[in-house]
Amino acid sequence: MSVRNAILGLLAYRPRHGYELHDAFEAMVGGVENWDLKPAQVYTTLTRLEKKGLVIEDRVQQDGGPEKHIYTVTQAGLAELQKWFSEPVLSDRRRDEFFLKLMLCLAAPDANPRKLIYVQRASLYRELHAITAQRSRVDPKSELAYILLLDQAVMHLEADLRWLDMVESRLDEISRQPIPEPAERPRGRPPKSDES
Amino acid sequence: MSIIKTEQLTKVYGKGATAVTALNGLNIEIQPGEFVAVMGPSGCGKSTLLHLVGGLDKPSNGRVLLDGQDIFRLNDDELTQLRRRQIGLVFQFFNLIPVLEAAENVALPLILDGVKQNDARQKAEAWLARIGLSDRLTHRPDQLSGGQQQRVAIARALVAEPSLILADEPTGNLDSRSADDIALLLRQISEEWNRTVLMVTHDPRIAAHANRIIFLKDGTVVDETRLSSNGHQEEMMVRQKLEVAR
Amino acid sequence: MTFQAKLALRYMQGRKLRTTLTLIAVMFGVMIVFGFNGILPAMEQALQTNLSAAVEKVDLTITSESRGAFDASAVTLVRETPGVALASPSLVRPLLVPTAQAVTAADGTAITSFILRGVQPEQLAELNPVSLADGRLLTDADDHSVLISNNLAQQTGLGVGDTLVLPASTGLLTLEIVGITVGQPPMGSEELIAPLAAAQTVFNLPGQINTIEAKFAPGSDAQTVQQAVLARLGSGYKAGGNEAGSEFATAMETGRLVLSLFGIIAAAMGGFIIFITFRTVVIERRRDIGMLRAIGASRQTILGMILTESLVLGILGTALGLLLGALLAYGLLVGMQPIMENMMHARIGGPSFAPWMFVLAIGMGLGITLLAGLAPALAATRVQPLDALRPSLAEVERRAAGRSAIAGIIIVALAFLTLIAGNVGLAALGIVLFMIGLALIGPALIYPIARLFGRLLSLIFAREGQIAQGNLTRQPGRAAITASAITIGLALLVAMGGLITSLIGGMDGWIAKTLGSDYLFMPQSLVLGGGNIGAGPQLVEQVKTTPGVSQVATLRQTTAKIDGSDLQIVGIDPVTYPQVSGLIFAAGDEAAVYQDMANGRSIVVNGIFAAQSGVKTGDTLSLQTPEGVQAYQVAGIGGDFMNYKIATGYISQANLAQDFHETADLLIMVNQQPGADAAQVDGALRALSRDYPAFSFYSLAEWKTEIGKSLAVFNAMYVLLIVLAIPSLIALINTLAINVLERTREIGTLRAVGATRRQIRRMITAESLLLAATGTVFGLLAGLWLGYILVGAMNLVGLVFPFSYSYAGLLLAIAVGLGFGVIGALIPARQAAQLDIVRALAYE
Repeated sequence: MSVRNAILGLLAYRPRHGYELHDAFEAMVGGVENWDLKPAQVYTTLTRLEKKGLVIEDRVQQDGGPEKHIYTVTQAGLAELQKWFSEPVLSDRRRDEFFLKLMLCLAAPDANPRKLIYVQRASLYRELHAITAQRSRVDPKSELAYILLLDQAVMHLEADLRWLDMVESRLDEISRQPIPEPAERPRGRPPKSDES
Repeated sequence: MSIIKTEQLTKVYGKGATAVTALNGLNIEIQPGEFVAVMGPSGCGKSTLLHLVGGLDKPSNGRVLLDGQDIFRLNDDELTQLRRRQIGLVFQFFNLIPVLEAAENVALPLILDGVKQNDARQKAEAWLARIGLSDRLTHRPDQLSGGQQQRVAIARALVAEPSLILADEPTGNLDSRSADDIALLLRQISEEWNRTVLMVTHDPRIAAHANRIIFLKDGTVVDETRLSSNGHQEEMMVRQKLEVAR
Repeated sequence: MTFQAKLALRYMQGRKLRTTLTLIAVMFGVMIVFGFNGILPAMEQALQTNLSAAVEKVDLTITSESRGAFDASAVTLVRETPGVALASPSLVRPLLVPTAQAVTAADGTAITSFILRGVQPEQLAELNPVSLADGRLLTDADDHSVLISNNLAQQTGLGVGDTLVLPASTGLLTLEIVGITVGQPPMGSEELIAPLAAAQTVFNLPGQINTIEAKFAPGSDAQTVQQAVLARLGSGYKAGGNEAGSEFATAMETGRLVLSLFGIIAAAMGGFIIFITFRTVVIERRRDIGMLRAIGASRQTILGMILTESLVLGILGTALGLLLGALLAYGLLVGMQPIMENMMHARIGGPSFAPWMFVLAIGMGLGITLLAGLAPALAATRVQPLDALRPSLAEVERRAAGRSAIAGIIIVALAFLTLIAGNVGLAALGIVLFMIGLALIGPALIYPIARLFGRLLSLIFAREGQIAQGNLTRQPGRAAITASAITIGLALLVAMGGLITSLIGGMDGWIAKTLGSDYLFMPQSLVLGGGNIGAGPQLVEQVKTTPGVSQVATLRQTTAKIDGSDLQIVGIDPVTYPQVSGLIFAAGDEAAVYQDMANGRSIVVNGIFAAQSGVKTGDTLSLQTPEGVQAYQVAGIGGDFMNYKIATGYISQANLAQDFHETADLLIMVNQQPGADAAQVDGALRALSRDYPAFSFYSLAEWKTEIGKSLAVFNAMYVLLIVLAIPSLIALINTLAINVLERTREIGTLRAVGATRRQIRRMITAESLLLAATGTVFGLLAGLWLGYILVGAMNLVGLVFPFSYSYAGLLLAIAVGLGFGVIGALIPARQAAQLDIVRALAYE
């Protein structure tokens, strides 16, 4: 969804061909290490957008080279973009793999939840270390956008680390409680979907 | 050889029923050029460890070896000299002398060591320039912001060219922006100026700047994480291997 | 500049108020010691007027060992000695003229003090040439002529042909001015040169002289001739001039002791204040010191830093103290001039400062500051590096307080023992010990006392009082230091007040006993030997025959030498004196003593002399008299009011005439017959006194009023008290201010949780009042005891009077103590109330 909207946004800025779009996206998110977008995905998305009439494709003959496919956003495409801008982005932080792992580890025989926490913590710290190193190399005068992006990551990691500390300090308490089981429900109703 | 080594380091405060064990047989080892953060919940003994390594407090049991030397075998004067020449201390509350100017505060350890006033002053100014405070030489501590005061304190810790910097919650009294600056400065001290830095903090963001984090709980090490090995240290290890091979 | 000096200076600049207050404390100590010592030489000089100004011009001056008068026939002996070319007798004595006869100078001041030189004409011509500005020298034909100096002539407008009226033992003597001399008069007094006979008449010493001046024949050996002259004269004579007033040496010595006592107390006070200041300085800088230690400052460096600071303060304070001391001395001398004029008819010059005084004052200023700074400096070296990392915890263990209290009690007991030991130096040490002991006991007592007063206070300042009380009891050490600043100040006030009250009270008693007759003929100077003119026997005869008079007693005076030092000799009549007046005895049976004196060479010595030379009843004293050495047996120890401060012996007038040739009456006491008409007796005696202007006549009532005026002079000593009390106010403000500073954060918290500025102000005031009340209680108790010790010390040096104290003085002391508390609280309370909450909370 967001890749689709990002392509619309980039084309609204100025028309480009598929390869330019891929590079522009990568620059926007701060590099391939942050968001690895495959060129193939760019082309499939462009094809879908064209079918829906949100972009149109122009073929341009280059001097002495193969012809290039330049994409331009349509009026419908701009309307779609405006719609995207007007909606908030919902956080998906409640869907967390580590949490699942920890809960299941608590329930599993012969597993060490504390070790699990330590491994996760070490990993988070390594990530944080790398990001802080990266951040320190960025020039705040010209690349503020990048810094803001890194700061967001730093803060998320910081929050995760604090949360881990909290979990660790309450580990004994939580392991004494039974892990969540589905409640007994009247027959015939379908189980609830995966909303947390 | 490790620059810091503790052996069965134990510290008990108080006596009898009210006794509190701050450190309980702690063994850690730190290599030259490392930037190590010590973390843990309050009361885990992290400050006590720093005080003991700095020779500011006496252990109940165990040893602290700095460069292989048992520092608690030294008398008070020798220990004072050790602190003066081999250890730079950075405190949470900066602890600058309020009546002295920034450059004078920085020059203190040199003057205490008997260096001539002019030479001490020059070195102090050079260090202040290096940490970006060359325009604050004659300001008194109360004329500086918290971050600037801590920079001055760091310059003071560095001026005598010690091999070891001990920092006790160096960002504990600063806003997050100044805290980042100080953390970066400490990283610079380790990476560019090849000093060993041992820092106590409870702030993950600050600790993440270190190469290694030691997690303490109830006076013992519960976990240790290597975040990266800096270039200097790798170089050292290569060299050591080469020497062994030769 | 060394690092320590730089740090010290910076700290001093950073805390200007503190620095100023400490400086003032040092300054006061030095000022008092230096100023007081500077006055003494001037007073001595004023009293010791040099009578032999011309000594250098002659080859030999002969006076008697006893410095008294001797028979003029001795001149013949000198003249007959081979090698002596010329010898001339003279009678030179100070002369006080009653105001009625005084010569008035152009500026209106009455000149009453002279030196009368009775000479033979040949002396002025040949021995001691005098240059004339006007008129002529004396001739053999002159009997009522006088020469005055051109200085006096210019001042008064007197000239050749005018007359000068002098009091004499026969009444009045009118002299005609025949010449004006050129030359500087000796210090203090104008010189009058008159024929020998006239001087003998004035002083009632017919045929007596006190100086022989001689010139040797050319070519003779001065040494040999001098030996020969002395051999010929026999014992009792010496080569060299007389110095009038050297009998005051003992009085001066006593004065020096009393002032030194003041100095010691002032110095101890200054030291105490400095101690308090540096102690708080160390507490305040605990973090800084800990940090310095942590980054590698050695203990010695810390010690040096604190000591340098105290040294700098010491140097500055001492310099200022010397300056102010000199000013104080000038001021006091100007202020004392009328008193000296009134009581002793002596003129005082400016203060003079001998090198040793500088040494003493500087040594004290620097020594005390360094010493007082030492203990806190040592405490500073014990500050651990870790103290830099911890918030300051000024916990005082109750047990430690208890231990120092025991030490304090022992020291106070020692102080008491020094008094019993009976040595003046030890007693002075005891006073210092006493104060130290007091400071040690303080912390242990602060808790119960603070609780007691806290109850009272909480009636006035309901809530704030309770908080204040809590603050104090939580910090007994700090509170005790503050309270003891008040204690010391107040103790001094009370003690000195007690001393002065006792002194005045004692004098009252002495006056009532020793000058308690119905009528008195008083000499010009209350000090008998101070140039007073006596009266010949005819005055006493006239008094005795006045209708209505029952008994008459007189005092006569001269000076004897004993073991090389002077002893004033007072002659009394052992029969009439006890009837009219009486000595106050410290040892010996009154009736038996007078009996002994009537029977032979018995002497009663006064307390000062007994204390100084260790004389006891039954000892034998060998007195140098004009009649050679005479043995006098000590019959008792005692004295009268007029001579209590001068080493004095009392002998019978018969012995005085026989051994000292002294018969002039200097003071006459008269009792009237019971039932006689008082108005009539009074009138008759008053009429009689008019012929003898050297005497002032008083009825008992008049005398009491007069003496009351003189005693009021002692009230000036209370001014000194205030001077001493100021430093303790400074110390109080200092400690209270520091108290507030240390609790900045706490006050900020109180403000943040809702205490109003008014409540903070009230809390600090309540605290201050509590401290003041505690200090006042201590101060009163300590002061009364200290006063007792001081009086005891005075008794040791021979000033015997009982200890007494006035209730008004005690009430005043309480008022002053509490007043100090309020004043001392004003600045810090304002300061505390105006603290910015946010800044205060951030303060560490």
